[in-house]
Amino acid sequence: MRRTWTWTLLLGLALASPPARAQDVTAGPKAIFPYPIRRTVLDNGLTVLSVPYDSPGIIAYYTVVRTGSRNEVEAGLTGFAHFFEHMMFRGTERYSQEAYNAELKKLGADSNAFTADDWTCYHITVAASALEKVVELESDRFRNLKYDEAGFQKEARAVLGEYNKSASSPFLILFEALQGTAYTAHTYRHTTLGFLDDIKAMPNQYGYSLVFFKRWYRPDNCTIVVAGDVDHDQLVNLCKQYYGGWKAGTAQIAIPAEPPQREERTKALTWPTETLPTVVLGYHIPAADPGNPDTAALQALAQAVFGETSPLYKQLVLDEQKVVVIEAEAESKRDPGLFVVLTRVRSPGEMAEVQRRILDALADAARTPVDPARLAAIKAHLKYAFAGALDSPDAIANAVGASIAATGRPDSMNALYAAFDRLTPDDLRRVAAAYFAPQNRTIVTLVAQPKEEKAR
Amino acid sequence: MITPRIGLLAPGLAALLLPLVATSRGDEPTAAGMTVLPSESGPLVALRVIVRAGSQDDPKGREGLAALTAAMVAEGGTKELTYEQVLRRFYPMAATLSGECYKEVSVFSGVVHRDNLAAYEALVAEMIAAPRFDPTDFERLKTEALDYLTSTLRGGNDEELSKATLQAALYPDGHPYGHVEQGTVTALKAITLDDVKAFHRAHYARSNLVLGVAGGADRAFAAKLAADLSRLPADGAEPPELPAPPLPRGLEVTIVAKPSADSTALALGFPIDVTRRDDDFYALAVANSYLGEHRTFNGRLMQDLRAKRGLNYGDYSYIEIFIQEGASTFPVPNNPRRQQAFSIWLRPVPHDKVAFALRGALWELDRLVRDGLSPEDFEATRSFLLNYSKLWVQTLPRRLGYAMEGSFYDRQSLVQELQDRLPKLTVEQVNAAVRKHLNAPGLRVAIVTRDAQALADLLKSGKPTPITYDTEGTPEEVLAEDKVIAAFPLGEVRVSIVPVEAMFEK
Repeated sequence: MRRTWTWTLLLGLALASPPARAQDVTAGPKAIFPYPIRRTVLDNGLTVLSVPYDSPGIIAYYTVVRTGSRNEVEAGLTGFAHFFEHMMFRGTERYSQEAYNAELKKLGADSNAFTADDWTCYHITVAASALEKVVELESDRFRNLKYDEAGFQKEARAVLGEYNKSASSPFLILFEALQGTAYTAHTYRHTTLGFLDDIKAMPNQYGYSLVFFKRWYRPDNCTIVVAGDVDHDQLVNLCKQYYGGWKAGTAQIAIPAEPPQREERTKALTWPTETLPTVVLGYHIPAADPGNPDTAALQALAQAVFGETSPLYKQLVLDEQKVVVIEAEAESKRDPGLFVVLTRVRSPGEMAEVQRRILDALADAARTPVDPARLAAIKAHLKYAFAGALDSPDAIANAVGASIAATGRPDSMNALYAAFDRLTPDDLRRVAAAYFAPQNRTIVTLVAQPKEEKAR
Repeated sequence: MITPRIGLLAPGLAALLLPLVATSRGDEPTAAGMTVLPSESGPLVALRVIVRAGSQDDPKGREGLAALTAAMVAEGGTKELTYEQVLRRFYPMAATLSGECYKEVSVFSGVVHRDNLAAYEALVAEMIAAPRFDPTDFERLKTEALDYLTSTLRGGNDEELSKATLQAALYPDGHPYGHVEQGTVTALKAITLDDVKAFHRAHYARSNLVLGVAGGADRAFAAKLAADLSRLPADGAEPPELPAPPLPRGLEVTIVAKPSADSTALALGFPIDVTRRDDDFYALAVANSYLGEHRTFNGRLMQDLRAKRGLNYGDYSYIEIFIQEGASTFPVPNNPRRQQAFSIWLRPVPHDKVAFALRGALWELDRLVRDGLSPEDFEATRSFLLNYSKLWVQTLPRRLGYAMEGSFYDRQSLVQELQDRLPKLTVEQVNAAVRKHLNAPGLRVAIVTRDAQALADLLKSGKPTPITYDTEGTPEEVLAEDKVIAAFPLGEVRVSIVPVEAMFEK
C-alpha cells in the first residue's frame, strides 16, 4: 500500500526563473503544462496551490513534503522518511488510526502515500464536496500526529514486510548496489527503503521518530496541491482556518556533497534463482536545474541513444535479439542524480558484448551529432508523452508535486520543455562528451548463481 | 453458473450488428458493438478494441498461443510495415498500441493526442487487421514469453508466482483457465508461426470484436475505425465450454519449493458461482470490501493482520480475479470471465509466521460467514463503495473500458450497477449472500516458501501455531485473539510440493 521508490522513466523537470510573487503561476502561451496554477503562501510558510482541471466532482488533494531518503544523514537511520510516511497514518489526538480510516472510508476516498529520494507525497482522491473534511483531517495529522510505541513497533514490521515483498525481485539489490557504489558520501547512496539492517532495527527508534516529525513536518517544508474541481479561494480559506496555527521551523541539515567520481566503479551481483542477466550503468549528472542547458540535453540523450527508435534498440532488441529490454533515464533530482541505463540480456554469454555496445553507443553520441529529423521526432515524443500523461487530477497533482520536489517550483516542466525546443544536435553531442566518460561511470551486473555453487 | 449463451457477446448476430452498448455519459448511438464517448474537454483520444479471444482458447499443447498472437499484433509489424517502421511511426506521437491477453479476451488499447489521431487510427487498425507475422518478431516475442515464465515468474516475483499457482490450483485438469496466459515452456517451444496465423484467422473476426473510442473523437471517427477493421473475417470461433471447476474439500495446498525465498507468499481461494451477471455479486461486493478491499485499510484483513499484528505489507480479498492496473489501486477494466473465484492475497510473511497468517485469513473468512456484517459496518461499507467506485473512471481509457464492459455481462457498467443497486440493498441480503457463496467446504492454498517439507508437515499435523512477536506492547485483546487464531482448525489438509523450476514447465 505505501509505495516507496519505483524505478520509472519519469520525465525530468527543471527550474525556470526566480520564484514569482504573483498569485498565479502563469505559463507562456505554449506551455507544456497547460493548466493555470494558483498559488498562495500562508504566513507560516505553507504553500497552497490549486490547479483547476475538468474532472467534475473529483479532486486530488496532495500534501508534498520536501523530505525524502535524501534527508537521512545519520548512520543506522536509513529508510526513516519512508517509515515515517507509514507512521503518518497511525493516528492523532483527535482521530485514532481506526477513526481516521473510518472517515476516509465514509468519503469513499482513495488514499495513499509514497516516499522517494527528494519528497514524501500524501495523496487523497475524493469527491470535491469533501474538501473541508479532507483539510480538517490532513491538517490534524500533519500538526498533531500521535501514536504509541506499540503501534510504532508493529508498523516497523509492516515496513519489513514491504522490503520482503520487494526482495523477491532482483531489481532491489541491483539498485541498492548501483546507488551504494556510485555514491560514497551523499545520502542518495542508500535507497528509499533503506538498508535492511536499519529496517530490522526500526522498532527501537520510537524517540527518533518524534525528532523526525518535528524536524521535517513543518508548513514551510510542505505544499498543498489540489487539482480538479477546486476553487482557490475556498481552498485557501479552509487552509488558513485549519493549518494556520501550524508553526514553521523546518530543520536545516547539511547533506554531504558527493565528491566527483574519478575512476570507473563496478560491482558484480549474483541471484539465487534463474533470472535474466542484467546490467545497470550510472553516470553522475547535474541536479534538476532549468538554468542548466545540460539537463534537457541529457533527457533527450536518453531517448536518442536508448529509445525505441534508436539504432542500438534496433540492433540489440529487434534484429539481433540479444536483449529483452533496454532503457535509460536521466534522473531529475534535487541534488546531482544519475543517468541510468538498464538492460536485461538474453544469455550470460552476451553480457560483455552488450555492455560494449552500450558503451560504444554512448561514445558515439559524444562524437556524432544526432540526425536533425530524429531530434525533431524526439522532441515531439517528449512533448506528447507529457501531454498524454496528464489525464486525471492525480496525474496533474503528481506532476506539480514532482516539480516541487526537485526544484522548489511547481511549474518547472515549462522551462524544461522550452529548453527541449531549443536543443540542437550539437548540444546533445557536447553533453554526451561531458558526462559519458569512463571515470564518471558505475557498472553493476547481476547473473543467476551457477548451479554448482547452490549447494553451499 | 454457466449461462445458456455460448459466448460473452449476445449470440446469433453477425458482424458488428450487436445490441447497442449502454454507456454512461454523452454517448452517441452507433453501429452496434461500438461505444463512443465524445468529450470536448481535453485533447486526448482513447481507443479500445476488445477481441473475444483469450488464453481459454489456447489449443491443448499450445498454451500461450493467444497471448503470443496478441503480442504479434501489438508488438509486431503489419503487412505494409516492419515493426521497426511501426515504432518509428508511433514514436513522435508518444503513442503505442497496448495488447493484453486475459483468460477470455485480448484487449488492444491506446491513448493519443488529437493532433495525431488519423495517423494513429490507420496504423492501429492495420496492426489488428493485417499483422505482418514476421518470423523475427515471432522469435523475439516467443523468447520474451519464455523469459517471463522462467525468469520473472519463477525467479523474480514471488507474489505473482503465488497467484499464478493459485489459478492453476483453482482450475485443474486441463480447465481452459488453468494455465497462465503466457503459457508453458513446453507449449511455447512447440508453437509455430503458422499456429499464430491460424489463431488470428480463427478468432480475430468481426463477430468477436467490441470497439470503443472516447475523448476528442466523434462518431465519424468511430465509423472509420469499424470500416478499417471490416476486412477481418465475419465470423470467429466460439469460446470453449468451461467445465465446472472442482470444489476443494478441506485445505488443498500447493507449496512451491523455492529455497532462495526470504519470506513466504500466500494466496488462497475457491471457485464461486457468481459473476456481475448475478444479483448476489453486488451484495458480495459490499461484503468483500468489508473483508479486504484491495490496498486500502478498510478491510478486516488489513486491519487485523497488518495493522494490529505487523505480519506483512498487505492482505486483501476479491470476488473477481483481480489484475492491478500498473501502479494504481484499481483493476484493469475488461477482464471479463464466465467463472470467478473468491480469493485472499496475503503478501509475503516471515517464514516463522506462515501457518499463523494462514490461520488468520481462515479465521477472518469464518467470522465473516458466521457473523456477517453489522448494520453499522454495512452502512459504512456501502457508502464507501458508492463513492469509491466513482474514482474507477477518472481517466479517459478507464471510463471507456468500464463503459464497454457491461455488455459482457448483460449489465450496465459496474460503476452504474453499483450506483443503482447498492442503495436498495439490505444488510440481510449481504449476509445471506455471504452464507450462500463464501461458506465453502474447502479452499485451495498456494504458498511459495523456502522449507516446503517442514511447512507441509506442520500444516498436516494440525498442531497449533502460536505467533511470537519480536515487537512489544501487543494489546491484550489481540493476544487473546491470537490464541484462537493459533488453534484455528485446518481440517483435512492435503499438500503437494512442486519445485519452483517445475512450475509452468508443461
